[in-house]
Amino acid sequence: MTDKEYYLLPFDFTEISGKEVLVNELGDMIISPKGTVQKIVDRSLPKDDLYKSLVANFFISEQIVPPLAEIYAERLREKKRFLESWTGLHIFVLTLRCNQNCVYCQASSQNEESNGCTMSKETMEKSVELMFRSPSDSITMEFQGGEPSLVPDIFEYGIQLAEEINKTEQKEIHYVLCTNSIHLTDRMLDICEKYGVVISTSLDGPAFLHNANRGKKDSYERVVAGIERGRQAVGNEKVSALMTTSVEGLNYPIEIVDEYVKLGFHAMFLRALNPYGLATHNDNWSEYTDRFIDFYKKAFEHILELNKKGTYFVEEFAAIVLRKMLTPYCTGFVDLQSPAGVINSVLIYNYDGGVYCSDESRMLAEFNDYTFRLGSVDDKYEDLVFGKKAKEIANVWANEALAGCSDCALKQYCGADPVRNYSTQGDMYGNRATSLLCRKNKAIIEYLISLIIERHDEVMPIFRSWVS
Amino acid sequence: MTITIDRRIYNDSVISKALYWLSGDYLIERSLSDNNTESVTITANSATDISETELETRLMQTLNDFKLRQIVADETRDIKTILYAKAFAEDEDLSEEDIHD
Ligand code: SF4
Repeated sequence: MTDKEYYLLPFDFTEISGKEVLVNELGDMIISPKGTVQKIVDRSLPKDDLYKSLVANFFISEQIVPPLAEIYAERLREKKRFLESWTGLHIFVLTLRCNQNCVYCQASSQNEESNGCTMSKETMEKSVELMFRSPSDSITMEFQGGEPSLVPDIFEYGIQLAEEINKTEQKEIHYVLCTNSIHLTDRMLDICEKYGVVISTSLDGPAFLHNANRGKKDSYERVVAGIERGRQAVGNEKVSALMTTSVEGLNYPIEIVDEYVKLGFHAMFLRALNPYGLATHNDNWSEYTDRFIDFYKKAFEHILELNKKGTYFVEEFAAIVLRKMLTPYCTGFVDLQSPAGVINSVLIYNYDGGVYCSDESRMLAEFNDYTFRLGSVDDKYEDLVFGKKAKEIANVWANEALAGCSDCALKQYCGADPVRNYSTQGDMYGNRATSLLCRKNKAIIEYLISLIIERHDEVMPIFRSWVS
Repeated sequence: MTITIDRRIYNDSVISKALYWLSGDYLIERSLSDNNTESVTITANSATDISETELETRLMQTLNDFKLRQIVADETRDIKTILYAKAFAEDEDLSEEDIHD
């Protein structure tokens, strides 16, 4: 031991529920009495259990380089493992045509009968070739729209191409169809069954709410029928649903959760509206964000109650954050990554041949904003992912290096989002003091930590079951 | 409201970081009274429930927190480089000698 008694290791801290919450670079968290950091820095910490815990969990070290530095490095590597595996999610926007009329549509959909706005075979061929240039051993080919089930030919063609190329490439490949389930024809279901396609449908809650959001009278019935047919075709576990919280939906947290339980789902993602596409017409985003945080907590409390009564039901946003908090692993969820999920984890092939760095960035393009267009399917893979545009985005994609985020104790659980910064604040760098995404993420992550602090014995068995 | 901050206690980086989080809700004007004293004038952008005393307490707390963060960052700069190099830079072999005490 030296005159310093011990050495500090990098960590940050914040105050939650009257406690000082310390988080290190590995995402490990220690909950301690207020004033602990001052004592750590002053070297006035008594050598009690807290001290031992700080040493054991890499917050301080009794040697200048911690004896388990190799393990620290391995854990650090694991937390950023998603970078090693490269782009795994490849989104194919097959068409902008759609058969619904959602009040919050984020994809600038076109009328079902409209011409054009659909991917050509040639664009599909070039896109699939680019997808296979990704070094990732495991790739997900996700089909989106508009409504992709309106164009079964190009959907099937894309999968057939991927299957053919994969005979030599031998990657692990998953297919996901994002559909509103209104037009799941026998042909679509046969394709899904044949290739084990996961069906991800959209369902906003009970009939009155879902139909109001979709601008149709019978949407709910048809979605529920579609879910049932999808389950028969590909199996229960391969059909999931995704909700979007419309302004009206904010009033029904309990009803929305109950609807998912009623339909036999075991998980849901409480998802806020995002300010892309037509959704930008919702004017008061600040008020929406505050109301969404309140909505989230009410729905989450209800989910906790269900779990306590024996119904296993997961809130997926929380599960992602908790996995970062309670396990040594990275999550691969593109919206909560640093470096950001754009390019690193996701690429978009648009119906018109444009290649984008995230789903949201192709939506900006529908408003003639091509800031995040990396190039086209005619370009070389290297020029797309290492090009000038990609480098520009890379300057601002790590929250470890962004004002506000770099000193934030929650950064290990949060992520960077240059596209959201740009679309809501006018520049990719963004300002955390006024960012509504920051406000939402911070509020939810702090809420989860406050539950761990205040209701540890009640919530931890549930949280552990979600992350194991 | 104007607050006087002693720059021998809180350096420029600490003051900037603390004020950053107020910049969404307040207009902030910084000026140097002399080499060691900074005056910060804070004006709310819109009507607020937060009293001046509360705001001052919050700001002083934030300054102290950022000062602690600064100490942690300064003391851990080298070890952080070593740990990250071990994790991600395959050919870097940094060790105890690379830490400037
Ligand atoms: S976005 Fe906000 S909550 Fe997330 S790391 Fe940055 S400052 Fe923290």
